[in-house]
Amino acid sequence: MRAVGELSETRYWMYLLLLPSLVMILLVIAYPTLYGMAISIREMRLTRPGLGGWVGFKHYAGMWSDPVFWIALKNTVVWVTAAVVLELALGLLAATALNRDLPGTKIFAVLILLPYFLPNVVAGHMWALLLDPRLGVINDLLVRAGVLQTYKAWFADPNTALAATVLVEAWHGFPFFALLLLAGLKSIPEDLYKAAAVDGAGVAAQLRLITLPMLRTVIAAAVILRVIGLVNSPDLLLILTGGGPGDATQVLSLYAFQTAYKEFNFGYASALSVVMFVILMIFAAAYIRLSRITKGEGDD
Amino acid sequence: MIESKRRRRLIANIATYFVLATLSMFCIGPMIWMFLTSLKYEADIVTQTMQYIPRRVTFDNYVAIWTQSSFPRLIANSLVVTFLTVTICVATGTLAAYAFSRFAFRGRTQLMLGYLVVRMFPAVMMIIPLYVVMRGVGLVDSRFGLALAYTSFLLPLFVWMLKGFFDSAPKELESAARIDGSTRLGAMVRIVMPLARNGLVASSVFIAIAAWNEFLFALMLTTGQGSRTWPVGLQLMVGEFQLPWGVLAAGGILSILPVIVLFAIVQRTMVQGLTAGAIKG
Repeated sequence: MRAVGELSETRYWMYLLLLPSLVMILLVIAYPTLYGMAISIREMRLTRPGLGGWVGFKHYAGMWSDPVFWIALKNTVVWVTAAVVLELALGLLAATALNRDLPGTKIFAVLILLPYFLPNVVAGHMWALLLDPRLGVINDLLVRAGVLQTYKAWFADPNTALAATVLVEAWHGFPFFALLLLAGLKSIPEDLYKAAAVDGAGVAAQLRLITLPMLRTVIAAAVILRVIGLVNSPDLLLILTGGGPGDATQVLSLYAFQTAYKEFNFGYASALSVVMFVILMIFAAAYIRLSRITKGEGDD
Repeated sequence: MIESKRRRRLIANIATYFVLATLSMFCIGPMIWMFLTSLKYEADIVTQTMQYIPRRVTFDNYVAIWTQSSFPRLIANSLVVTFLTVTICVATGTLAAYAFSRFAFRGRTQLMLGYLVVRMFPAVMMIIPLYVVMRGVGLVDSRFGLALAYTSFLLPLFVWMLKGFFDSAPKELESAARIDGSTRLGAMVRIVMPLARNGLVASSVFIAIAAWNEFLFALMLTTGQGSRTWPVGLQLMVGEFQLPWGVLAAGGILSILPVIVLFAIVQRTMVQGLTAGAIKG
């Protein structure tokens, strides 16, 4: 112990502190990532061990003529956009209401945050039960209210499947926005609103002129984190629809996972995920740049 | 004038409560319904007319999932994997978070950015090579192997979150201890750690919940009874045995119980830690 104590006085101490986690990260992230990129330019199918060797950009070229890839790409854009917009709107609504700090708000805050911490597997099956074509309570409520004539198979109908999964995703993800936006709202000084009220600004004007501009950084950060999360994780769709019916809810991450998990075509699956990663990087860079530009204009 | 202002305030308050109540119902309604379903007889679930309040209550579904399936085994595996993941992250991540929080050194910014970029890697991009590598060293279908895989996305998260908590622990006490002759190690262990205790607990709980809930890595990296965790086991039961809804609901309730309890205990500190990073930019 004393020896370590003395060691902590040397100028290498911080590097020693970093060493264990760095070793872990190199081991479980850096090496696998590089190896994964290497797999994407190789033929690797666990079902046919005889195959092997480098194939260059064959998998990437194959994507170009793979109709499922393009469907999945389109679905990813639609699904992620719809989910983020819905989650942002619900999150803003929740954060604004919670920020008024009326008595009892704490309880509501806990209830509203809870879905975010629930496992996908449970969330998926819970909503499958709620929307079930034979015994789903939502169907029953809608029929009783006269909205629907008969029970509907939400996840089996290509026209509603994607929308139904967006609803489940929004339920699961909007608390994240509520959480971040609430923290953002709390950091806006109360005086700004008072001054605006004195100047005669109504609720809508206050929202447009104070709240949204002040929240811009938080919204930008929340959106980008959420987009990354949504693009990367196929869990919920895997549980709810498996990409079906047909390819109606097939997204890139799910397509890549199924290519690996079901067909054991590791080469193509790796190439798919590399492309996904590159698209995500381009999006993130463009998004950060864009939100900076608008910020600069706002300051002028 | 004052009368109308008061009225407007009242209306705003009513609207606020209405929004909060509706959103809360949207959030926990599905969970309540799952709980009610878990208490129903199967005949009362699959009926012509929906039973909103169960007419008779049974615990058979809970008994069934616990005694007639491999559920206890799955839960035990999940506990072990979660424990291992948290142990690895706390052991290595705490030191790194402390270094990032307290020292200026060459490469600090780049390294921290690196920890952040890692979060952008698609899960599938990690899963495939991890599977190949782990199969090579015999870590597929092992609880330790799965915990190692979880470290790949939870360790960076843990370091960032905990760094925020270290940042907000006052530095003066530490300096005082140093002046009194304490080594850096001594100051870290005796002064900073106790100060950031709540943050350490909250960060650990956060990654514990994430590891407990994780599905995709576990699906790929566990192939048998030996290491399979509950999310994978439950999902496979649904596919293989046409699990009755009541039993599935009971399994769901049992598996989210620890999450809800942990969340309720540390939610305040955890919320602080989760938001700090995003607000600071």
